[in-house]
Formats: sequence, structure tokens, C-alpha cells
Amino acid sequence: MKKTWFKWAALGVPVLVIAGCATYPDPATTRRVAEKMVNESFTAPAPALLKRLAQDKSQQICSKIGGAQLTQEEAAEVARLARASIKYPPSGKLVGDWKRGDKLAHDGAGDRIQRGRLEKRKENGGLCQNCHALAPGEINVGNVGPSLTGYGLQRGTSDSIAKLTYERIYNAWAYSPCSNMPRLGATGHLTPEQITHMVAYLIDPQSPVNKK
Amino acid sequence: MPNLLGGIAASALLFLAVSVPAQAADPLAVGRQMLAEDNPGELWIEKGKTLFYEKRGPRGVSLEQCDFGMGPGKLEGASTRLPRYFPDTDKVQDLESRLVTCMVQLQGFKREDVIRRAISPGGSSGSDMEALALYITSRSNGMKMNVSLNHQKEREMYKAGEYLFFRRSGQTDFGCVQCHGDANKRIRLQDLIHMTSKQGVQEVVSTWPAYRGAHYVVRTMQWRLYDCFWQMRLPELAYASDVSIALTTYLHYQGNGAVTRVPGFKR
Amino acid sequence: MSEPMKIRATLQGDVADVRILMMHPMETGQRKNSKGELIPMHFIKNVVVSHNGKTVLDAEWTQAISRNPFLGLRVKGAKAGDKISVTWIDNKGDKRTDETAVAAGS
Repeated sequence: MKKTWFKWAALGVPVLVIAGCATYPDPATTRRVAEKMVNESFTAPAPALLKRLAQDKSQQICSKIGGAQLTQEEAAEVARLARASIKYPPSGKLVGDWKRGDKLAHDGAGDRIQRGRLEKRKENGGLCQNCHALAPGEINVGNVGPSLTGYGLQRGTSDSIAKLTYERIYNAWAYSPCSNMPRLGATGHLTPEQITHMVAYLIDPQSPVNKK
Repeated sequence: MPNLLGGIAASALLFLAVSVPAQAADPLAVGRQMLAEDNPGELWIEKGKTLFYEKRGPRGVSLEQCDFGMGPGKLEGASTRLPRYFPDTDKVQDLESRLVTCMVQLQGFKREDVIRRAISPGGSSGSDMEALALYITSRSNGMKMNVSLNHQKEREMYKAGEYLFFRRSGQTDFGCVQCHGDANKRIRLQDLIHMTSKQGVQEVVSTWPAYRGAHYVVRTMQWRLYDCFWQMRLPELAYASDVSIALTTYLHYQGNGAVTRVPGFKR
Repeated sequence: MSEPMKIRATLQGDVADVRILMMHPMETGQRKNSKGELIPMHFIKNVVVSHNGKTVLDAEWTQAISRNPFLGLRVKGAKAGDKISVTWIDNKGDKRTDETAVAAGS
């Protein structure tokens, strides 16, 4: 008790002054402080993996504090960058195998880092079931994103629908800047070929998504 | 004649039959109430208490001289004011990093060892840190979260935590807000707490440490943050790192007023 | 070296509402560790609950019961201050007894 009193008395004046002058840092200072923390607070089995923490231009725009609105210019910029990022499979065929898409849509694993190891499997899962309802009757499905049940039934199987679906999965921000949906193709989480299978899973009339 | 009890479901049903009143229309709510009333996590409170008062480490001392912000060994209400600034380390610290400080400086443990053992493997008998964090937090059960931001570093930490909550990165383009920014959302069948609402963030800050049913051990906020970054496909969040303390400061301050009730129960 | 049980016994009329939490791995013997080796069986085989020394529950358990099990029961004819004692024995021969007094209901 006595020691504490002495310590506080010694620090007394400067501490009081600091307390009295405590201010909230401005956004630029906060950004600098926080980014320094990011650089110092993570580990990974390989230095290249630490790059996952770096933000690209779109992510920076889309990280608005408190869910603040994008300006028109910002939204346009994010959409433009997203559209420019879209790559199609070399074959040009955007609709693959719905059976493979079915597997991918229900696969939430792949590419995570734990205890110094990277979770490397044959391919990354599509993660769809985590956030979206898919085939009717499935219970274990999320609702962070809109339901995709009956996707093909509602939209048909035209080339333009296939292209739209492909692009939305590849980079959803081309259509909805800063959407909560990951830019699965653009970030490299999924390959163009994988996305074609997911397109098929969504629009093929034989797919469980479009069964009653 | 020995009774053969087939499983936990059997004993649970035994209970259900006799102790549940007529309005048992929602079985999930009944189940949650049962888990809240008889949470295996409570077994670790005694364990944490024993560890706290036991003379341990190379220096053979207990943690009674550890200052959690209200004076050495003063535990009632201490966790409700964390994270906070500590003059002796000149840092803002949460409960777990403060325990690390004391285990190293008072008891003589090596920092790397304490951190390496802090999070136990699932299905084990749990780590010392998990038991201690639960015990100390339980000493504030019934008390309200009461974090203040008076010191400059506390305000910086809070603002950094807010910034980080909304910071998106990695191949998932996730920041915390992507999953925790809306009401009534879930990933598969796991409900997502709406942390940008007062009610949601109060639920978060009042129920950690918690018994994680699937892991059979008590888990802490440090573990929870680590696990979020894991599934966001981001690198590993270091234990007691500044990012973890910043996020905890942000959430705890936002959750001020929440009444502590630990151990919580998670799936 | 086992951890203490947590036993609560609350009187409701003349019935004691007894709730017991136990810490035990309850290994089934079918799980494998990270090296692919089978983790040996280690589970509570028998639980006895007594009221003032008289056995009121004698249960045979199997691997089907989960880790860190919970047991709830109601004991008729109890009074505040009565002794409730719980003993478990596992397949390795480890044994643990804890007890509590019945608390008056509110």
C-alpha cells in the first residue's frame, strides 16, 4: 500500500496532466497505430502468407468505420476495379459440372492457418453453405447471404445468366461494391474452373438447387 | 439392481420429465436453460481458485500480489474494468495479458512457456490460463462491465480496436463486421452475435470465458479472437498481441453495462 | 488425481433436487490421436449416490456418456442439512467421492 502511494505520488503530477489532456486520436493517427499493430500481431508458417493481412485498394475503401456510406466515386471505383479483375476460363465455357459444384458449395474448408501449418487440400471449398441456403430442405445452412434455392428456376439457363452468375461469384463487388461476399475468384480462393462448376450447380435444372 | 443409464440424453430427459413446467414449447430454450444452470465450465472455477492461491513457478509465490487494476490481489470487479492502462508495464492490458505479466514477473515463469501453454488442446483437462481467467472473471459475476477510457493509451487502443473491427483483408475480404454487423444472422446453424448493437455486444462481453461444448474445455476471449482470424483465412493472431487487446478494448467499452455471468456456454 | 465434482442439492418441499457435474475424459476407446493411435478407454463405470448413508442411485455407465458428464436426480424424503454423497469409479479403478448438504429451498 505504502509503495503504491509513493509510486503514485512520484508520478502524480505528470499522470494527472496526461489524464487531463487525454484525447481521442484523429483517424490518420488511428490508422497508423492500428496498421503497426497488424504488422506486429500475427505469425504465419511462411512470410508470403503474412501478405494476406495487407489490404488492396478496394478493401481499404470498403473498410469504412461504423458502416458509413460509400460515396458515388468510391462505389464506382470499387466496381471498376472489380470488373477489371474478372478472368474467364481459357475454354470460354462458363458452365461446368453441377455435381462437382454441389460438392464445392457444401465445402467450408481449405487454406486456413493453424499451429504453424497451412491447411492445404486438393482444392479450396466454395464456402457457399456457410452463408446461403442452397437445395430445398437442407437445414444446416447460413443466412448471411440471400437464399439461392431455386436460383436456376427463377432465372433460366441463358448465356447471359451463366455469365452474370460466373461474374458474381468471381467478383461480387463488380455488381455490389463492398458487399459482404468474398471476391472468391479475384482473391484466388477459387479457380475459374471451380467457379464454372458452381455456376452449373446454381442454374442446371438437374441440380438439387432447382428441385422442388 | 443397477440402473443402466444410456447416455447424457437419458439423464437430460429424466430431468425434462419432472422439472420443466408446462410452457416447454421451445425445446431449444429448455436445453439452453439447462446448460446455463449446470455448466461443466463451473468445474474450472475451483481449479482456477486453487491455481491463484497456490505458490507456483520458479519463485514459489502465489498470484495474490498481482494487480489487476484495483490493487494487488483485489479481484471483485477487476475484470469489469479491463482492458485498462497499467503504469508498471506502460501498456493497456486485458485480463489474460495481465496474468501473463504476473506469472512472469511475480512467479518467474518464462513468457514463451506461459504463452505456449495458454490455450489448451480440445478434449484436454484445460490450461492454467483458462482456469485462472475464468476464476478471476467469476469474482465479478453479477457486476456490470465498467471500462473507462481516461488514459491516452486507452483511447488509442479503443480507436484502434474500432478501426480493426471494420478492417477487411485476405481472400475472404472479411473484417469482424461482415459476420457480426447484422441481426439474426447465422453461419450454417451457428448464430452470429450482432456486435454493432448494444444488446449483442453486451451478450459477448458478459459470457467469456465460456465452456466450449465441442472442445470440452473453457475457452477465453483471446482464444475466440484467434479462432475468428483462423476461419477468415488470415495468419495466426499472437496471444496477448496488441490487435487482440485493441479489439477487446473496443468490445468491452461498447458492452459497458453488461452484467458478468461466467462461465458462458458455447456450442 | 481427479478433479472435484460440483454437487448442488436444493430442497423443494420434501424432495431434494440434486445436480452433479463431474470432470472426466470419458474416452470411448475408439478415438485416434493425431498420430493415428487409438486412445485407450477411460470412462466412469459406476456412480453411486447416497442420502444420509443410504444408497438412492446405483448406476452402471458405459462409454456412451459424454466427457464431463452431468447427472441430475431427485431424492424424496429429504430435509435441509441431509448429506448427499456421490462416488464414481472408472474402468482404471480410479475412484472419487464428494458430498454436500441439502440446502433449504427458497
